[in-house]
Formats: sequence, structure tokens, C-alpha cells
Amino acid sequence: MTKDKTPSIDLFRVRQILDNVESKPRSSVSSEGLKLNPLPSKAYYYWLMAPAIALLAAITIYPFIQMVIMSLQDVQIGSSTWNNFANFTKLWGDKKFWAGWKLLAYYSFWCLLLQITIGVFLAIILNNSRWEKVLVTTLLMPMMMAPVIAGMVWYFLYNGTFGWYHWLFQSLGILGVKSILADVKTAMWGIIIVDTWQWTPLITIITLAGLKRVPRDQLEANMVDGASPLRNFTSVTLPNLYPVLLIAIMLRFMDNFRFIDSAMVLTAGGPADSTKILPIYLFDVSFRFTALGRAAAIGFIMLIVTIILGKALVRIFDRQQPAAHQ
Amino acid sequence: MASRDVVNYDTPLTKAFNWFSGIFLAFYLVWTILPIFVMIVSSFKNLLEAFKLPAVGDWANIGVFFDFSPTFQHYINLFTQQPFGTYLFNSIVAAGGSAIVSVVLGSMAAYSLSRVDFKLKNDVFFWIISTRMAPVIAVLVPLFFIFRSLDLVGSLLGLILAYTTFNLPFAIWILKGFFDNVPYAIEEAQMVDGASRPQALLAILPLVAPGIGAFVVLCILFAWNDFLFAAIIGSGGAKTLPVATKELVQPQNIQWGTIMAAGTITTLPMMLLGLVIRKYLVTGLTMGAVKE
Repeated sequence: MTKDKTPSIDLFRVRQILDNVESKPRSSVSSEGLKLNPLPSKAYYYWLMAPAIALLAAITIYPFIQMVIMSLQDVQIGSSTWNNFANFTKLWGDKKFWAGWKLLAYYSFWCLLLQITIGVFLAIILNNSRWEKVLVTTLLMPMMMAPVIAGMVWYFLYNGTFGWYHWLFQSLGILGVKSILADVKTAMWGIIIVDTWQWTPLITIITLAGLKRVPRDQLEANMVDGASPLRNFTSVTLPNLYPVLLIAIMLRFMDNFRFIDSAMVLTAGGPADSTKILPIYLFDVSFRFTALGRAAAIGFIMLIVTIILGKALVRIFDRQQPAAHQ
Repeated sequence: MASRDVVNYDTPLTKAFNWFSGIFLAFYLVWTILPIFVMIVSSFKNLLEAFKLPAVGDWANIGVFFDFSPTFQHYINLFTQQPFGTYLFNSIVAAGGSAIVSVVLGSMAAYSLSRVDFKLKNDVFFWIISTRMAPVIAVLVPLFFIFRSLDLVGSLLGLILAYTTFNLPFAIWILKGFFDNVPYAIEEAQMVDGASRPQALLAILPLVAPGIGAFVVLCILFAWNDFLFAAIIGSGGAKTLPVATKELVQPQNIQWGTIMAAGTITTLPMMLLGLVIRKYLVTGLTMGAVKE
């Protein structure tokens, strides 16, 4: 706003009034003076949001309470008994539970590293290139695919007897006769490749949006000072990209929690539990072993971790918003 | 130091970089498109042709991939021998229904959240967004129990409700951003002219309509591509396309042609929709954190 010490007083007042009108619904100037409309009542807004809030509460809070109850019980069909946090304490000695976390960390780390490296590099190549629009649209195609379908197509490509990618790996001497999904050592890479194939474009479009926001004047000033393109990238572009990349990383990391569709089709946790990341283990506990109390306990822990991550993410969002308007 | 009028970046190093990036881009495009291409082509091959592969290291014979006579048999089978018509219908109803419920209720809530201030607003807001982020698999078991007691398992209504758990918070979160950008002064001007509050709301709707339209499409996309909810909540009566396609995978005698045809039917509509709302994709997929 005008910080000038000697402004025309009237103009300044007008601005202030206008600002009030625009930003604060309550200060409604017109209805105060003219009494044509009722004052904006909060009740009106509450009624308007009530159906959505009620529906959301019914389908999220109620299941959450149900989950907490189940996690404290020995759930059997018909009768459930309280069991003194046994579901939680038993997890302490549950090797597959801890292995699930470790595999999830390994999986997420490599997925993110590959996707960020390739995604950012692609964005830099594509930024302001002649065919940017067409190329980006082409790159987006895998993301529109249902992850299950993507998993099945890749399962076909990886197949040890008639898969084209398997043929390619074999011909290049990377793999032996065993399919990538059949070997304990390589199966994890099989699902990392599919996730990277499908979601790298997301990083690319996020980075592209970030690149458009890098201030030109800073780049130019740096260039005038004699910086090389590489130097320009590391000292101007990258720091400006940082918040956007952070959002991309958080989103992808949480998606690794959420989406197990393609991994379920490709390996379903096997061979020999080498790809049994935590969500897949939870799926097994829920629907294969039907140990529902334990499943609820694992689900509860996962939910808490997600909420903590989500809180961090929302904080980054909020910091990001003002920057978006600059 | 001598001053330069034009900064010339055309050094051998940048030239090498340009060459490298061009080649990389070409490779990347092939790698992106290839699986989709193989899926579509394989859906037109018969069983023997789909399994045809050159010998290991036999690069010269790679053209065997195109050695087939196109057949529509798999597509015909899907709709005559299998009830894929029903599955398609289920997918459309479940995805469309949840998108409409989410966006109608969501835009009402988003509008009021954008206009009113109250004490716990930030907490309510965080609760809304955290339901969107929650891992499906973690809440699936309790949700299944509740839905079973309400007799909603295996019904389209149950599936619509299940999809609403992630679409409604998404719609509220994104659409609030749209309503925030519409100045309150417009509604005020309407009301000065004698409009009632709901009429004032209707008057600003055209301003946010393109955004709302795009997010109906995005909600459809999320619901259509879902697998876990459809597999568990929809099991029995409300089988959707992804689940039906997955069930075509049998331990023995896998009908790849049919599976690829089903995959193509599931994928192509979403790719077209994705193109239509291309402009809003970044905003949608980053939950509004990044705008293009």
C-alpha cells in the first residue's frame, strides 16, 4: 500500500473503504446504509456447508472411530473382545511390519530419486522449446491410465516368455532367463520402473509450472554478471524451484502410501516378500489373513503418519500461496 | 574487462548438452508411449500373434511385432461373451455419480467456507484435506464393515459413497480456491439490485463454471481409475472396468488379447478427458498448490 508520508488524504480513505468492501464480507457497506438486504448472517453459510460436512463426517469420522475401536479389539466375526493393546504391542515383534516400512522407504527413495531427476531434467529441456505443448501432452498420457491397467500392461511386457521388455533386457544382457519380477533381487526394480514410467510426467509438469515462475530479472542480472548457464541454473533457477519440488516430493511420497494398485498386479508382494511394502502387507493382513484387529492397528499407525506428513504439506502450501501471487 | 553486447552461449559444451537432451527426449518419448502402443496393438492380435517374439539378441527380426492380421474379435468377445457392457455402465454411473455429488455439495461448502470466518475454520479445513490424503487401504476395513451393515457392499450407491470419501474433500479444497478469487463486491452489487442471497450465488456461478466443469471431469478420472474401493466395496454387484479387467487375469491360459482390449476400453476415454481438461491438470493433481 502507499507508504507515502503526504498522500492526498481523501484518496487514501477511499482506498481503505474499497479494500474493506472487497475483503471482508461482514462489513457490507450497502446493506448497512440502505437496509435493502438482510445482513449476511453466518447461519446461511453454515446451512450451505452442512450437507457436505455431514456427509464427509459420516463417511470419514465414523469409520475412523470404528477403526480405533477395532484396533483395540480381538476382532472375530460375531463377537469381539478387548485385548489390552495387544494388536499394537504385537506389532513390535512383527518382522514383516518393520520390513514393510523398510521396503516402503527403499521403494519411495528410488522412485522419488528417479522421478525427480528425470522429471526436472525433462522440464528443463521442454521449457520454452518449440513443441512444448504437444510434447507435454504426450508425456501426460501414462498418468491418465488406471494404475491397475498400467500394472497389467507392464506385467505383459515383463513376461519371461513373451514379454517385449524382457526380450529387450535379455538382448542387452541386463537380465538372464528369469523375468525381472520373478527374481528376489530385481522384483523391486520392476515395480519402481513402472511407478517411474507413470508418474515422472507429474514431476515434469509441476517443475514446468515452477520454471515459468522463476523471475526473469534475476536470471538476466546473473547473466549480465557473466554467469554460465549452469551457474544460472544452480544459483537462480534451483533455489526458486525448491518450494515447488518440495510439494512434488511430498505428494508423490504420500501417493506411494496410497496407491498399491500396480504393485498388487505386478508382484502382490512376492517373490519371497521382497516387494511387500507396508500397504501391500496391510492388504494381506486385512484380506488374506483377515486379522482385522491387527489390520486396524496398522491402518491407524499409517493414518497417523499420513496426517503428520499432511500437516507438513499444508504448511508448505500456505507458504507457497503468497509467492504464487507475486 | 571487455564488455560484450550479446551474451553468446553457443559454446561446444552447450551444443553437446543440446544434442544430449534431444536424444534423451527422443528416448523418453518412445519409452512413455511404447507400453500404451503395445497395449492397443496387442488388443488387435490373436493369441498366437501376441506371443510371437524374435530370438534373444535377434535385433533384425524386431519387425515381427507388426506381423499380424488385425482382428476385432477381442472387443466383440468382451461385449458378447462377457458382460462388459454392464461393467462399462457401472463405471460410468459410479464415477459420474460421485463426481456430481462431490461437486454439487463441494461447491456449496467451498463457497461458504470462502465467505465466512469462524474460530475452528483452519481445523475444519485440515480435517477436510486430510481425509483426501488418507491411504485408502488403511480405512478400507472399517469402511467395509460399516457398508456391510448398511447393506451397501456390492451396490452402485455404496461405490458412489466410497468414491465420495476422496472426491468430496478434493472438490471442496480446490473449489474454495476458485471462489476466493471472486470478489464479494459482485454479490453485494447483485443484492443492492434486489437479488436474494441464493440469487447472488447463482449470479457468480458463471465466473467459476469453467473451473467447476474441469473438476467434475477430474473427479470422474479419479473414481474411474480406482481399483481398491471397487474391488472390495463394489465386489459382487457393482464391478467396474478396472476390476473386471483384473479378473480376466487367470492363473492359466491368460487371454492377453482380451485383457489388452479391456485395458484399451478403460484407458482411452480417460486419456481423451485428460486432454480436454489439460489446462487444469496441474492444479488438480497438486491439489491447488501449483498453478500453471
